[in-house]
Amino acid sequence: MNWLRLRRLWHPAPLKRRYDTVIIGGGVHGLATAYYLARTHGIRDVAVLESQYIGFGGSGRNTAIVRANQRTPENVRFYAEGLKLWRTLTDELDYNLMFFNCGNLNLGHSEAALNGFRMAASTHNFLGVRSELLDPQQCAELIPGLDISDRPAFPIHGGLYHPPGGIVRHDAVVWGLAKGAAAHGVHIHQGCEVRGIDTEGGRVTGVRTSLGRIGCNRLGIMAGGYSTAVAAMLGIELPVHPLTIQATVTQPLKPFLHHVFSSGAYHVYANQTLKGEIAAGAHMDPQVNYTTDATAYYLKHQAEALVDLMPALRRVRFMRIWAGLADMTPDMAPILEGDLGFGGLYLDAGWGYFGFKSGPVAGKYMAEYMATGERPDILRTFQLKRFLENRYSGETAAVMKYGHWD
Amino acid sequence: MTFRLTCPVCGKRDLYEFTFGGQDRGPRPEQEGLSADEHFRWVQFRMIPGGMGAGEDAGPRAGGQGQLQHEWWYHGQGCGVWFRTTRDPATNREVKDGGGEG
Repeated sequence: MNWLRLRRLWHPAPLKRRYDTVIIGGGVHGLATAYYLARTHGIRDVAVLESQYIGFGGSGRNTAIVRANQRTPENVRFYAEGLKLWRTLTDELDYNLMFFNCGNLNLGHSEAALNGFRMAASTHNFLGVRSELLDPQQCAELIPGLDISDRPAFPIHGGLYHPPGGIVRHDAVVWGLAKGAAAHGVHIHQGCEVRGIDTEGGRVTGVRTSLGRIGCNRLGIMAGGYSTAVAAMLGIELPVHPLTIQATVTQPLKPFLHHVFSSGAYHVYANQTLKGEIAAGAHMDPQVNYTTDATAYYLKHQAEALVDLMPALRRVRFMRIWAGLADMTPDMAPILEGDLGFGGLYLDAGWGYFGFKSGPVAGKYMAEYMATGERPDILRTFQLKRFLENRYSGETAAVMKYGHWD
Repeated sequence: MTFRLTCPVCGKRDLYEFTFGGQDRGPRPEQEGLSADEHFRWVQFRMIPGGMGAGEDAGPRAGGQGQLQHEWWYHGQGCGVWFRTTRDPATNREVKDGGGEG
């Protein structure tokens, strides 16, 4: 009965009282940073502290969509490298991340939207990222269920098709990175809630946790939706607004939807999982909060939007609904910063709803930043001080404004 | 779960009649001698209370009392009034000044 014996992917390690590097947050970003610190930079004295269980937060609650069709060149370059990492990580970690390279179709419902797509596609193509404009007929050829007639409230005028994107199994990414990090000597501590951060002479010296004090030389705050709350422990204010975003899956159906599709006008994005469910997400709730409450209002909105775009989904049942936190910044671009007024302190936050697709690539460069103390060039555009210099990224031009967080 | 807010004119109404107006940061800083840094900190930088359950240092230093947040709301789908209220971002519940659920 040897085949029945389950082998653990990684083993809990004894909690040491001191680590060289401590990372707050056992999600994709924290685990990826720990993995690259150990694997690429030889820094193995690393602990990842997770208050619940790994993947509890946004890493396990997103709709698993990955893509590199952002608006600004800086962002496109960053996410394009991120897309390539899914394949190399699957090899490196010897763990199937289930990257389904199905491509993304973004629907436009006005001439203004199509003009936006034209500009975005030019940026993508200039940077060597595949993206092309489709007319409504071509959209329907890709996704036969779409209603391209004049009947929907917002008729489809065209689409932006982005073949390099797709979906990745988000739990597999968390588990695979934990496996890889632990194999290189990283300690992962679950159920370890950080309650305070100690500093001395302007340097971070350790964290106070539910499992006692843990000393460190370097500290990374990578707590997703809770990053503002963790940064507040040091009196640091951030332009980050935590908002709930909800998602659903329907009952499993035969495979019929072979691409991710999304629509800014309807505030909906959907894909068919490998199990056959339609996984879909939508707008954010308007007010800053840390709950993960689901609402009937959202469910109704989701049903209306999906059925209007794809009438065949009428009477398909929702099976589950859940919510997670998105850490929104005013310009829709993240904050990757090591200059926060405390030596040894690093922050990886403000991802909005781009946190999953960016996880491994952000981890790769944050590891380089933390190991060398030098800001990698690709992260220069994501500095915190841009908000104090009124030099916001142009990323908000890419999408509908999804909420009124401020 | 959604929740209700108390409009000073119309009384308790469903959340989706309102537009969130952000954390109440107090009056705009005096223009005289105001640096760009101070201005943008006032406009965008926040501590949003309520993010850590039992965190001893998790209390906010700005914008609220204890775990609560003072904030602005607009009754756009109703009477059109702007008003201030206090809410707990950890539970989404509106709280009366002085404690207790509103």
